[in-house]
Amino acid sequence: MLQSSFFQLPLACVVLLISSVGTLLAAPPEGYRFLSLTEATQLASSENKPMLLYFGRYGCSTCRKMHAEVFNDASLNVKFNDAFVLAYVDTESGDRISLANGERITEMQFASRSRIIGTPTFIFFSPEQKPLFKKAGFQTIAQMNQYGDYILEKHYQSMPLQEFMAGQ
Amino acid sequence: MKLRFAGLWLVLIVCQSQASDRWVFDDRTAVTGAAQDRVYHHLDGSGRKHIAVTRQSVAAVWEDNRSQTPQIYVALKSFSSDRFTAPLQVSNGSEAYEPSIAALSDNRFALAFEQDASVFARILTAEGLGAPTRLSQHAASHVSITSLNDQVFASWRERDSGRWFLKVAALRVEGTNRFIVESVQSVEPEGQETALLFPAIAVNAAGLCVAWEDRRAGHTRLLVSHNADMSKPFNAPQSLNEFFSNRNEYDMGNGVTRVSLASFGEDEILAAWMDKRRGGNGYGIFAALGADAGENFGPNEKVHGEQGDRQPHYNPATAGNQAGDFVVAWDDFRRADSDIWISAYNADLEWSQDHAPSVASGRGEQSHPSIALDEQGNLHLLWIERSQQDGPSRLWYSPGRPRKP
Repeated sequence: MLQSSFFQLPLACVVLLISSVGTLLAAPPEGYRFLSLTEATQLASSENKPMLLYFGRYGCSTCRKMHAEVFNDASLNVKFNDAFVLAYVDTESGDRISLANGERITEMQFASRSRIIGTPTFIFFSPEQKPLFKKAGFQTIAQMNQYGDYILEKHYQSMPLQEFMAGQ
Repeated sequence: MKLRFAGLWLVLIVCQSQASDRWVFDDRTAVTGAAQDRVYHHLDGSGRKHIAVTRQSVAAVWEDNRSQTPQIYVALKSFSSDRFTAPLQVSNGSEAYEPSIAALSDNRFALAFEQDASVFARILTAEGLGAPTRLSQHAASHVSITSLNDQVFASWRERDSGRWFLKVAALRVEGTNRFIVESVQSVEPEGQETALLFPAIAVNAAGLCVAWEDRRAGHTRLLVSHNADMSKPFNAPQSLNEFFSNRNEYDMGNGVTRVSLASFGEDEILAAWMDKRRGGNGYGIFAALGADAGENFGPNEKVHGEQGDRQPHYNPATAGNQAGDFVVAWDDFRRADSDIWISAYNADLEWSQDHAPSVASGRGEQSHPSIALDEQGNLHLLWIERSQQDGPSRLWYSPGRPRKP
């Protein structure tokens, strides 16, 4: 149900993020080029790149664990920095997002409307900016690499993620 | 045999539900016109104070984009009328957000809102709006307003020279419809390097209480401060949420966010907020009751009932009155679509079973409640309705009458 609820929301129609009074992004992992959702969406569309959308929370323990034990991996860093456009949303932020339909809501309202229950939650988008799958909670280096390969090698065009992962 | 037990279980559930059904709600009244394509109403902001009542009327304040840009609007309904007035536009800048409202004497209301990175206050009377008064000096947002016997106080966050400050202003009503800023002080004069978010404010005979989201500890905690005399500094901040899990080297505590405050009784404060201490179940609604205008808070209490234990809950709003009543409302999607839920203390002084008023539940998305209690114990409920999550919206109002024993 959560997955389907998420896909009801036209995430890909997010076109503009405007910061209210300059609130800082709340701690995406260091060494990665995480952008605001606006910048990331625009960049991914213009460069026809897949996008990783990371829903985090300031002080989230599992996020911190992933930053220290997963995102510190050099190969993962190269793969995601080079081949993906990276977006970060703070699920408790009051920063506002403008949707293509004209509505403006805070990042927190966007996260709750997207039925994001825990952090970290990762949404992977195809180069065509279609949401492909959602992963919540701790992900290993191997899993993150496989998610990346599934998209970059375009396996999503021919098989479900589960089938791809089982074959690895 | 199974059927007999099933029937007994159903009876028990119904009895529990009725026990918590403390208010009987009237038919809903439209605050805004029929939902229009690409027009979105929002009830959002520090403390979720978007509805207030005087002896004569109820007022609702919100943000919507009917003019293509987000602006603030207010509408009034006399208790002798069956409909709200046409909305009055409160803001006049490029964009405005997150309004707050409190009742004044003589059927007037105090409004506060963010406009173009400043915060303003103005007075609404039956004749219209008074001139706006700017409260902030630097980039500001997250304003909330409260009143007691026409003493009006507003809180907001302000950023100056790279530091975050929580500001509290004492406002005096000049004539019938204009605010004069009597004083402004920072809750902590030195400010913080880390963000301060969504301060809520409440006032009663024992003084002021301010509670906010604070990130100085490396994760978000709710802090609270009290002031019995605005000519003196605020008390040193204390922790409001009291659960810090510290499960491993990365864990500094669970998420907490969007605290709402309401005064009740002579000098007590209700605080309610979203709290992730339940781990993978998302936010729960937790609360604490504070004596002496929040100088001393009691233990944290879980508000939602067992039937909501495995679901996330959002957008808590609080209300109280001087008669001593207090109540919490929120929304969640335990029944697939979002509904409004209410809980108040029962006769055993425990939070009641969750109650979903029929006027604000069922088909479609009912969310983002704001509530006010009058001195007769009537619960005034304002909420947003959408046919689907990202569809156009409409605001509704319903008064809940106390159920007679």
